[in-house]
Formats: sequence, C-alpha cells, structure tokens
Amino acid sequence: MPAPTLLYSSAGFSYDDIMNENNHSESVIIAEGLVKRYSKDVLAVDGVDIVIPANIVYALLGPNGAGKTTMISMLTTLIEPTAGSARVKGFDVVRRADEVRKRIGVTFQEMILDEELTGRQVLDFHGRLYGQPKAKRRAKIAELLALVELEDAADRRCATYSGGMKRRLELARGLMTEPEVLFLDEPTLGLDPQNRVSIWEYVRNLKADLGLSLLFTTHYMEEAEQMADRVGIIDHGRIVVEGSPRALVDQMGEDTIRILGRGDSRAFVETLQALPFVETVVEGESVIQLGVDSGSKRLAEVVTLANTDGFTIDDISVAKPSLGDVFLKYTGRQLRDK
Amino acid sequence: MRAAITIWHKHMTKLRLHPEEAVGLLIQPIMWVVLFGVGMRGLIGQGMGIEEEAYMAFMVPGIIALTALGAAIAGGVVWLSERLQGIVKEYLVAPIARLSILVGNAMSIVTKSVFQAVIIFIVGALMGAQVSLNPLGWLGGLVLVAGYGAGFAGIALAGASKSNDIGAYHMLIFLFNLPLLFLSNALYPLEMLPRWMEIGARLNPTSYVVDGLRQMVFENGAELAGGETLSLGLCFVVVAAFAVLGMGAAYMVFRKTVQ
Ligand SMILES: Nc1ncnc2c1ncn2[C@@H]1O[C@H](COP(=O)(O)OP(=O)(O)OP(=O)(O)O)[C@@H](O)[C@H]1O
Ligand SMILES: [Mg+2]
Repeated sequence: MPAPTLLYSSAGFSYDDIMNENNHSESVIIAEGLVKRYSKDVLAVDGVDIVIPANIVYALLGPNGAGKTTMISMLTTLIEPTAGSARVKGFDVVRRADEVRKRIGVTFQEMILDEELTGRQVLDFHGRLYGQPKAKRRAKIAELLALVELEDAADRRCATYSGGMKRRLELARGLMTEPEVLFLDEPTLGLDPQNRVSIWEYVRNLKADLGLSLLFTTHYMEEAEQMADRVGIIDHGRIVVEGSPRALVDQMGEDTIRILGRGDSRAFVETLQALPFVETVVEGESVIQLGVDSGSKRLAEVVTLANTDGFTIDDISVAKPSLGDVFLKYTGRQLRDK
Repeated sequence: MRAAITIWHKHMTKLRLHPEEAVGLLIQPIMWVVLFGVGMRGLIGQGMGIEEEAYMAFMVPGIIALTALGAAIAGGVVWLSERLQGIVKEYLVAPIARLSILVGNAMSIVTKSVFQAVIIFIVGALMGAQVSLNPLGWLGGLVLVAGYGAGFAGIALAGASKSNDIGAYHMLIFLFNLPLLFLSNALYPLEMLPRWMEIGARLNPTSYVVDGLRQMVFENGAELAGGETLSLGLCFVVVAAFAVLGMGAAYMVFRKTVQ
C-alpha cells in the first residue's frame, strides 16, 4: 500500500502551516498509528494517522467495511484501540476517556433511541445523564427541537416517528450537551433525499456556530464533496489519501473520460500515458479512467487511439471528476453508492 | 450515582408510561399469595401440623423471595434488550462510571421487588398471617428484600451482559433460578429437608432472607420455621454479602463485554 498522500488546495489554508505553527494545539483529533483488530482475521483499522484541525468539517469516506465505524468507536471511547493512540481535544481516548466524553457528541450508525420515550424525554434523559441542570435542559431542548423542526412531535413517543424524524432527534441528542466535537456516523443512512438534504442543512447551520468541530462518515461521495472541508478516503482500514475535496478532485484533471471496453488494454494504456493532455490514467477492474484537460475535445482522439491499439470500446463517457474517481485512482476499485 | 439515579428514573418513567406493566407487578404477587395460600395451605400446612393462618405467615416470605427473583429476571431482560438495541452505547459515550449503569438497573429491580414485597405483606396479612406490630421489623424486612433483590439483580445483569440473545439468557438464569428457590427453606422448614438439601439450603442466600423475614415481620413467625431458626445477624450479613457479590459479578462480566 502506498503511503497516504496529503493534498491541499492552494485557495484554502495550508495543511502544513496549521501543523507547524500551532504545533498540534489547534487540532481537535490526533490519531497516531491507530489499530483495531477484532480477531485474528479481522483487522478493521490498520494503522491510521490523522490530524484534524479545529473548527472544520472532516469526512471519512469509504465503502462498506472500510473501518469508518471502528474509527469513530475508538475516537468516541466506545472501544479501545488494539495499538496506537488517539487524542481528542488533547485528551487520550483511553487514559482520559472521561475528559473526552465530556467534550463530544455522537450519533451512531444505527438508530439508537428508546422508542417508548417521547422526543422530549429522550433529550431530557440525555441531559440528565451528563448532569445538566434543569433550567439548562429546558432551554436546550426548546432550542434543539426548533433546530431539527420536531416541536410538533416532541411529546409523541419516538416509536411513532418516521426514519427521518428519528435521525433528526438523534442529531439533537448529539448536540444536547453542547459538545466541542461532534461525531456523526453515516448520519443520512437510509434516509430519502429530502431528509438527507434537511439533515445537512441543520449541520450547515451548526457549522456557522463557533467552536464546533465535526467528523462524519459516509459512503456517499457527494456528501463528502459538498459538506466537508477535508476528506480522508479510507479503505481496508487505511487512509489512502487525504485532502480538501477541491484539491483531491482537481488533481484528477479538468474532466474525466471513463472507458468500458474489451481486449488487451496494455498497449492502449501505454499510449494514453504518453499523451500530453492526459493528466492521470487509472485502470480499475473493468474501467479505464483518464483525467484530461477537456473531455469533449479529446474524446474523438481517444477513440481513434483505442482502435489503433486493438482495444474495443463498449462505452465511453465524459464527466466532471468526483471523489469517486479519486477513490478509484487510489484503490483501483469503484466506490459504489448504495 | 447521579447517572444511576437518572437511569433508574428513566425506568420508572417507562413504568408510568406502561400501566399494564405496573398492573402486572401488582397482580402477580397477589396471585402467588392467593394460589399458594389457598391451594397449598391445607395440603402442606396439615403435613407440617400447623394451622392455616400460621401457614400463611410461613409461606409469605418464600413468595416474596420468589417474586424478587422474578423481578430480577425481568430486569435482566430490560438490560439485555438495551444492550441488543445498542441503547447502552448512549451510556458508554457519556462521562459516567461504568458501574453506575449497572447500579441504575439494579436500583430499578430493587424498587420493583420492594414494592411487590409490600403488596405481598398486605395481601398475606389480609389472608390471616399475623403481622408483627414492630415497625423496625418491617423496615428490617424491606432491607433484607432490597439486599436480596440487589444480589439477584447482579446475577441477572451478569447473565444479561454475557448473553447475546434472550434464549441464552433465560437458559443461564434458569440454572440459578430453580436451585435458589427449591434448595432453600422457602417451601419447607429446614429440618424437614433431607440432609443434602439442608446443606444446600444453608448455602443459599434465599434461606437467610426468608428466615429473616419470618422472624422480623410476623408474629410467632420464628416458631413456624420448624423450631430451628438462623440468627438474625447472620441473615443480614449473608444477604449483604450476596448483594455485594452479585453486583461485583455483574460488573466483572459487563466490563469484559465493553472492551
Ligand atoms: N464488533 C465487531 N467484531 C468483529 N468484527 C467487526 C466488528 N465490528 C466491525 N467488524 C469488522 O470490521 C471491519 C470494519 O467494520 P466497520 O463497521 O468499522 O466498517 P464501516 O466502514 O463502518 O462499514 P459500513 O459502511 O458498512 O458501516 C468489517 O470487516 C467488519 O466486519
Ligand atoms: Mg459503519
């Protein structure tokens, strides 16, 4: 496996600057060589190093089984790492777990709600668990119910909520104790497009609030692209590449040409690599993908070259590159949206 | 402690939301007393050569112990389902002591047991058991019930922390349940038991809670135990030790599953 590549956009902050100037003090999450082995055969997280600066939205993007939930579980003190270490807000997740717990809010991948309770009771119980005084709880509940638009349903049992409403309530619960770091594990899993949009709207509003850093996981590349300031692409328990979505996508060229075909691709790929306008060539299991300066301009030329090299094209398309293409480039596999 | 009370409070809230469960908690002990009392007192009472009222006083503590067992088993199911549903994760990422999660659950169980014990006393008294007039005895009785409830709650919570489905849990609990009831003085006086069962009964905390209740809560309850009674001090010591051991076991098992 290649070492993770760091990229940063020229427009935004420089990653190295943050690292050096602040000497990690401004980082909310630091993981060093984090490993989780569930059993002899299952190595869920395989040596992850990440540094997440304060006040940004960070996305862990990866396919099913990549190790996203395991990462979150370790960072939120739910499970202990097998090796390596991690700090959240400067506190070690194992030795200072209680300090970490005081500062984080979490929503889990599965719906976890006591369905016999009403929405209001769920939030109130959560606040009590953290020792919030009554007046504080009451104010916070009113504020959060308004944020996630559940005021009308607040006194109904959660069992009667729709999936989207439950998710929104969970988000409110995660925010109940005014966390400094919020972890959302696949917050839009299983939601219809409309609910997905509204969840991200709330999060976007929150982002405007000062002092909240956010780490979320997803296997929807558009979510990572649109919501995150930085993305870490994770596969088989390793971060394969990390950077701002802009920078990650930019390195793929202006346009992506995707080719599905048959025959010996070797000569064809070699030809392509030699072309001046081709910035990247990625050969996946069934696709060849080119990053080029202009898709529409180069399409005809690519088709001609394929014929010359004896490669039969079944399908060819031009698109703006996405994080999915980045994923393909670094793993050789497609990141399938569910 | 605050967290334990919060979790206890949540369980009590749920109980309020489910009147049917509360009614069940009420009806079940009444049924035990009535069925056991009416059905068995002629049979066993005559065999023991004691009067019917006296038999009630003899029997009621055993029913209390049995009901406390039932409450603990049900409480274990609550805990198991919170684990299986993942609700436990909400507790685990909160800044609270691991032990307080279990203590909260045990408190709910103990509350229900004590509540049921009070009902059983009342029904037993209505059916003719002569209740002691010493309130300190009642208090002592409730302390014993609470301690016994906590001990068995610990066993149930340990079982529920280890099992990954409800069937396995019931199998595990079943293994404790029957001997705790039958290998005791709950149904027969100690001296009526065969030798090997008497030894088992003397090792069983149930015998101590039952005997303590007979002595403290009922008039002439002590004589009814068949002449030989366990010392009251010993009853408290054994029940306290049982409570600590039970909760300790639950904590050990739970801690392992969290890793
Ligand atoms: N408790 C566990 N015991 C054993 N193996 C586990 C456990 N949890 C996860 N795994 C395994 O670890 C690997 C990583 O799982 P993880 O849940 O972290 O992936 P993920 O990226 O969150 O996937 P998904 O998108 O499906 O949620 C998988 O192979 C999974 O089967
Ligand atoms: Mg996951």
